[in-house]
Amino acid sequence: MDQPNILEAQKLTKVYEDGLCALDHVSFSVKAGEIFCLLGDNGAGKTTAINLFLGFLNPTEGTPFINGIDVTKDPLAAKQHVAYLSDVVMLYPNFTARQNLDFFARLGGRHNLKRDDYYNALRQVGLQEKAFEQRLKGFSKGMRQKVGLAIAIVKEAPAIILDEPTSGLDPKAANEFLAILHQLRAQGRAILISTHDIFRAKEISDTVGIMSEGKLLAVKTKAELEHENLEKLYLDYIQGKVAA
Amino acid sequence: MLKILLEKELRDIIYSTKFAITFAAAAVLVLLSFYVGIRNYQESIHEYESAKTTNAANIAAQTDWHQIQDRVFRKPQPLEILVNGVTNDVGRTTDMRSSGELNLINSRFSVDPLFAVFRFLDLNFVFVIVFSLFAILFGYDAINGEKEAGTLKLVFSNGVARASFILSKLLGSVLALGVPLLVPLLIGCLMLLGFGIPMSGFEWVRLGLVIVAGLLCFGVFLTLSIMVSAMVSRSSVSFLLALVVWIFSVLIIPKGSVLLASQIASVPSIDAVEIQKRKFTADQGQKWLQASQQWFSSRMSSSASVNDSGFVNAMAAFQDSLQKAREDARAEFYSRLDEDWRNKKDWQERWAFGISRVSPTAVFQIAAMNLAGTDVGMKFRYMQQLSRYRDAFAETIRKKTGSSADYFRIVIKRFSGGQNDQEEKQKSLNPSELPEYVEQPRSLGDVMTASMFDMGLLVVLNALFIGGAFYAFLRFDLR
Repeated sequence: MDQPNILEAQKLTKVYEDGLCALDHVSFSVKAGEIFCLLGDNGAGKTTAINLFLGFLNPTEGTPFINGIDVTKDPLAAKQHVAYLSDVVMLYPNFTARQNLDFFARLGGRHNLKRDDYYNALRQVGLQEKAFEQRLKGFSKGMRQKVGLAIAIVKEAPAIILDEPTSGLDPKAANEFLAILHQLRAQGRAILISTHDIFRAKEISDTVGIMSEGKLLAVKTKAELEHENLEKLYLDYIQGKVAA
Repeated sequence: MLKILLEKELRDIIYSTKFAITFAAAAVLVLLSFYVGIRNYQESIHEYESAKTTNAANIAAQTDWHQIQDRVFRKPQPLEILVNGVTNDVGRTTDMRSSGELNLINSRFSVDPLFAVFRFLDLNFVFVIVFSLFAILFGYDAINGEKEAGTLKLVFSNGVARASFILSKLLGSVLALGVPLLVPLLIGCLMLLGFGIPMSGFEWVRLGLVIVAGLLCFGVFLTLSIMVSAMVSRSSVSFLLALVVWIFSVLIIPKGSVLLASQIASVPSIDAVEIQKRKFTADQGQKWLQASQQWFSSRMSSSASVNDSGFVNAMAAFQDSLQKAREDARAEFYSRLDEDWRNKKDWQERWAFGISRVSPTAVFQIAAMNLAGTDVGMKFRYMQQLSRYRDAFAETIRKKTGSSADYFRIVIKRFSGGQNDQEEKQKSLNPSELPEYVEQPRSLGDVMTASMFDMGLLVVLNALFIGGAFYAFLRFDLR
């Protein structure tokens, strides 16, 4: 049976006050149990698309939907159905990992979680046990990223949006991180990732959307990419050698 | 949602090392200001009591009510130690006279000039300098700091309303910082009780209001810096802006307002007024001498003898009437000069205070000094009380001597060498026969009237910056 669209962008367009068109009629959807990678260089419009989904920006045209809810009309309700992890996950350094988790879980509507629930989430993302009750001040970026992902997990939202999640992570930490994403996909979450890491995009995603200068130039499924050189394809698209 | 955000805000502040260090520093300074104040008060009271005892002994050593040398001492007030205001600039001792101008001498700063340079550590200093900086340190990155840390996006990726978030920031900061600061203040109040500082119920109310005003001033800086933090996206910029506001508020505006006011409304210097008074007094002295000479000439030419009791009585009556006329003229001239100077000074002060009220710390200082009774009107009020006391003093002297006693006069006495004369000559004065100077406290109504405008202004500034923070944050770019 076909999975429902959890995240859906319908002709999303964003033109800033200075006239810069950051996003130009971009449409795509992410289904439950699917990982969708928005691949593009800096300024391609990936983060703008994410910001529109999270209601940080209002679209000039088009509509972002989360679990069928129009974000522009009811952003608070829509955001109950999405978890977000940015590339800069500092969290609250004076709180322990568990306290950070507790705060964001309650913010996300999970009021009845117990200490063990938080510990399980932290175990799931591979954080060392001794770090559970340590303040985040001394955490490495990889450790903070894991806590951030645990926050996304405990929210149990059907959609997860990740903005450059592996940037700055060492290969081991990045691999661990991607392994967790696979688990979340298996749980039926719809995952939207923005990245400029072609290798990771091909490795993890079910669908890749190639973006450049605010346009979604191509959407390729894993099957379509199986026999393609994604790097070459990507470069061909952004250099205009292949018609969008 | 608000509860969750508020709880987080409280914990985030209280768990921070920044809070531990700044709170400890603020607490130590608050307690130190109370302790220094208490010690100063005890020392001042001791000096006051000693001076009174010495004065009583001096009076008791005198034998002639005509030549009495009495002194009045300003009693230290408990609230003066916490909000010094102008108290250390105003003289504490007055040579009491039945007539003539009363002068205040022996101010604290004239005795200890070192303190005039460095000033005392009082609650006013703690609120104005320490608490306001404390507020800025916690408010300057309240919003943009979260943006820089990436937590703002994370928070708003949930169903959080902007109004709830900014409200939690404002409430949380006020509660997390304001309530802990109350602890050392309350301990300070307990120290006042423990050290046996005599505080009336009215004084406790005034002290409570000083603390409320201080916390309102703290709130102004806190809400202002949160507002600035919601207006600019970089915390380094908001820190710089908040610091500039602080420097202007604490250092530049209060001093600048005095300079500006002196340009707008000029007032003759007190020396210029003194020169006019001295010239008038010298002229009067000359006239007095001429009148006396004329009177003596006219009498000496007549058949009356200086041994004649009628002559002595007539001379005394002449001198009294002459002195009365001289004193009336002096009082009228001095009072006109003083009133004119006072009016000009009042006008200048109004300008200075009006301009300085741009600064929240100046508003607090004005309110606190009015509440503590150490405002710029303190000297004027004290002089008025001294003037009233002088009337009672003069009346006592008049009853004792039949005339005012403390002006230059010619007294003719016959000494027969009899026992009664010897007894009369050596009889000591009884200081308790003099009226006691008792300082009348200002009424609660007066104090409230004088301070309510500035208290209200602090409330308005808080409301203004809270509104500003809301407005700025509703437009804040969360990305």
